[in-house]
Amino acid sequence: MMRSLLRLVSLISILIFASVVLAEDDQDTMPYIQSSAFNAPLLEGWENQSGDDFVQFHDAEAHATIRSALVEIGEPVAAAGSDLRRTFGIELGEPIYQDKVNLADGTWNVLVYEPDAVASASVMARRAGSQSVVISFVESDPEARILMLTIAQSGDARADAGTEIDLALSLLTSNNATDLVETTALSLPSGEWTGVVGDGFFAMGMVFGNDSYLALGEGDTENLPNLADAYNRTVLGFFVTPDNSAYLALALTASFAILALLILSFFWRSRNIQKDLELIESLNQTDN
Amino acid sequence: MTAKTKLLSARQTVEATPMPRALQLLTILTLVGFCFTLVLGLFVAGTDIQQGEIQRIFYIHMPSFFGAFSAFGLTVVGGILYLWRKSEGWDRVALAGVEVGLAFALINLATGAIWARPIWNTWWTWDPRLTSAAIMALTYAAYLMLRAGIEDETRKRTFMSVYGIFAFTSVLVTLFIIRVVPETIHPVIVGASPQNAQGSFEATSGVVMALVPSMLLWLTLMPITLIWHRSRIERRLEAVNRLKMRILTE
Repeated sequence: MMRSLLRLVSLISILIFASVVLAEDDQDTMPYIQSSAFNAPLLEGWENQSGDDFVQFHDAEAHATIRSALVEIGEPVAAAGSDLRRTFGIELGEPIYQDKVNLADGTWNVLVYEPDAVASASVMARRAGSQSVVISFVESDPEARILMLTIAQSGDARADAGTEIDLALSLLTSNNATDLVETTALSLPSGEWTGVVGDGFFAMGMVFGNDSYLALGEGDTENLPNLADAYNRTVLGFFVTPDNSAYLALALTASFAILALLILSFFWRSRNIQKDLELIESLNQTDN
Repeated sequence: MTAKTKLLSARQTVEATPMPRALQLLTILTLVGFCFTLVLGLFVAGTDIQQGEIQRIFYIHMPSFFGAFSAFGLTVVGGILYLWRKSEGWDRVALAGVEVGLAFALINLATGAIWARPIWNTWWTWDPRLTSAAIMALTYAAYLMLRAGIEDETRKRTFMSVYGIFAFTSVLVTLFIIRVVPETIHPVIVGASPQNAQGSFEATSGVVMALVPSMLLWLTLMPITLIWHRSRIERRLEAVNRLKMRILTE
């Protein structure tokens, strides 16, 4: 009986320690890039220029860069300006479009800049404690004008982004809904998009939650689906790993406390048994 | 036999007998294994990028439930064998199984509630899995209270053996409820999570590497070692109580 038990215990112990070795060491492909402060989707086919505290992808052919960064400035619009100035050396000036949208992780400032005749910068920025998160799309294609923006849907949420595309076109381009000639459906990794082709422009829109995610292109818009997909995958996939280590400490403390109580109760009971025995002995000696 | 001789004889039973070598070995292995699995879960396994550090409590939360399962399972075995053989030793195993299992079940409930606060944004919700786990813990807490309330030793042992066997249904319900009731937000790691599950994560090789040793430890070494220690204390406690009774009646 004892020998069998020892054999069983030995087997279990060997299994415990061997299971670590036996566990397959195949690291799953991480679809995200982890910076020191946040996570952003990995954009395949783009040149990865990421550093320790920012994630940045560049497409040389499209003259486009998508960047996510945590900036040490609490005011999001100022943080966006500072980050783009420091990274790309561009003075943004006044935005040609500015609004706010409420997404699951906070209120984001949506900003579109055209600092010169060639470059444009589409930015989303929100406060993160005393810092700001800035996600930017910067393009400098002399053959194209490409803008990205997110607009909250008004009233009841709709299945298509047609209304917001019309709004964005009227605000940011010389086109309007009457110029539309063709509407197409595009299925991209970021979601189901509606493409609107007009005279000299191409607009795309996707609905996610109560918001419409838009991409507007003028001139050479061949790369627009690829760029819209990459930027909006970054916007939708960006997240900060929560710092909840205090809860882990609390849970560990609770676990140890319960185990300690159980084990201490063993000692207390053993000691009480011993005391009882001593008391019985002393009573017995008194009787004798 | 004089009263003094009787006392000396009884004292020999009550005196702590040296710990058997097998129990010494088990205790050392359990301690080493506990530290080893803790290091794996807290330092070797990677941080879940969506849930953050709190996900690491999973390496205690899930194994502690299976530890309770194992301990309460030994209560069933002890109860059946007591009813069959009328051996007090098996009743002691059943009682020790409840105490150890209840401690593990409380660890499971506490760690689950603390995990839920940052992930579900609430300490507690009346989800089928959570509710059944709470009922399970209360069922075994009631075992200890009922046991303390029955005077007659034989009746107590018989009744509690039957109770311990039937109480195990609460463990089985807790284990399988998320496979039967789809309206649960409790995630499942082995197999597909229910549709409404919140806080799921993928069982990657890193997770498996930290989880399997911890599961084995909590399922086997920890309950066996603690139940063995507790049974030995109960044996001495019963002997000292008998001694008290003998002295009182003489």
